[in-house]
Amino acid sequence: MPASSSFRRGVRDSILIFFAIGAFGVAFGVVAVDAGFAGWLAVLASLLIVSGAAQFAMAGLVATGAAPVLFAATGLGLRHLPMSATLARLIGPQPLRTRLRMAFILVDETFGLTVHAAAAGVDDVVAYKTGADLTLYSGWVTGTVVGALIGDAVDPAAAGLGALFGLMFLGLAAPLVRRRRDWVVVATAVGATLAATAVLPEAWRLTGAAGAAALIGAFFHE
Amino acid sequence: MSDLLLVLTVAAITFASRVAFLVRPRPAPEGLVGRFLDVFPLALFVAIATSELLTPAGSPEVTPALAAAVGGIAGAAIFRRALLGVLAVGAVSFYVVRALVG
Repeated sequence: MPASSSFRRGVRDSILIFFAIGAFGVAFGVVAVDAGFAGWLAVLASLLIVSGAAQFAMAGLVATGAAPVLFAATGLGLRHLPMSATLARLIGPQPLRTRLRMAFILVDETFGLTVHAAAAGVDDVVAYKTGADLTLYSGWVTGTVVGALIGDAVDPAAAGLGALFGLMFLGLAAPLVRRRRDWVVVATAVGATLAATAVLPEAWRLTGAAGAAALIGAFFHE
Repeated sequence: MSDLLLVLTVAAITFASRVAFLVRPRPAPEGLVGRFLDVFPLALFVAIATSELLTPAGSPEVTPALAAAVGGIAGAAIFRRALLGVLAVGAVSFYVVRALVG
C-alpha cells in the first residue's frame, strides 16, 4: 500500500535525525530552563512552536524583553513562506485538515527530507512527511522533557551540538546540488551568510542570506 | 508579557508563516518566483550550515566546526551525497580536530 510504505519510509529516513533532534531538544530544555522558563513551559514551547531556531532565539532573547523575541520569531518565520509554497506544490490538492497538519510541523529537517523524497519519486508525499514529522516531533518533545528535567547538567557547546546541527543541513543540501545554477546558489549563500553575519541583526541573517542567494539563483539561466 | 503568552504568541507567528501558502493553495508560481522557490531550500540549508560551521562564534574563524564542514563535504563526495555519509565523516572530523586543537 503506497501510503503506509511511504509513511514507513518517512520514519526510516528520519530515524538518524531523530537522535540529533532529540539531542537538540535536550539542549533546548536545558537552555530554556537556564533562561528562566519553567520546565513545563519549555515543553509546551516544543509542543506548540516546533521550531528550534525560534525557540532558541526566544530563550536567548527573553531576558531583553518580548519585542526582540517577537521580532526574531517573525524574521525566522519568513523563511517558512517559500517552504510553504514549495510544499503546497509537492502535496497537491489536499483537505484543509491535511494542509493544516502539514503546516504545523513544517520544519527544515522534514521539509528537506520531503523535498528529497519527492524528487526521488516517493509514492505518497503526505504519508512520507507525516512519518518523518511524527518521528522528529517525538524526538524534539522527548528531548525537551529530558533537558528540562536535567537542567544545566548538559553543555551543548561541549557536546558539539552546533556542529552536528550544521552538518545535518549540509547533508540535506548536498543532494539538491545538481546543476550549474545550484553551485551558484551554494557559493552565493555561503558568501551572503558570511557578509550577513557582519552587517545584519541575528534574526535576519539566515533569511536575508538565503533570500539573496535564491534571488540570484532565480535570475541565473542555464 | 508573561512567559506563557510569549510562548503562545511565538507559536502563533510560526504557525502563521508555515500555513500561509498551504491553507489557500494557489496556482504554482512560475517564472522568476517559481525559480526562486525552486532554489530557496538549497539556499536556506547552505545558509544554516554556513552559519553553524563557518561562523559558529559569530565571526569567520578556524575552528573544529570548519573541520566538520570540510569533512562533511568529503563525506558527500565519498558517499554520493548521502546524509549519513555527510554526518558521519563530518562528525568524526569535528571530534578528531577538537581533540587535537582543543
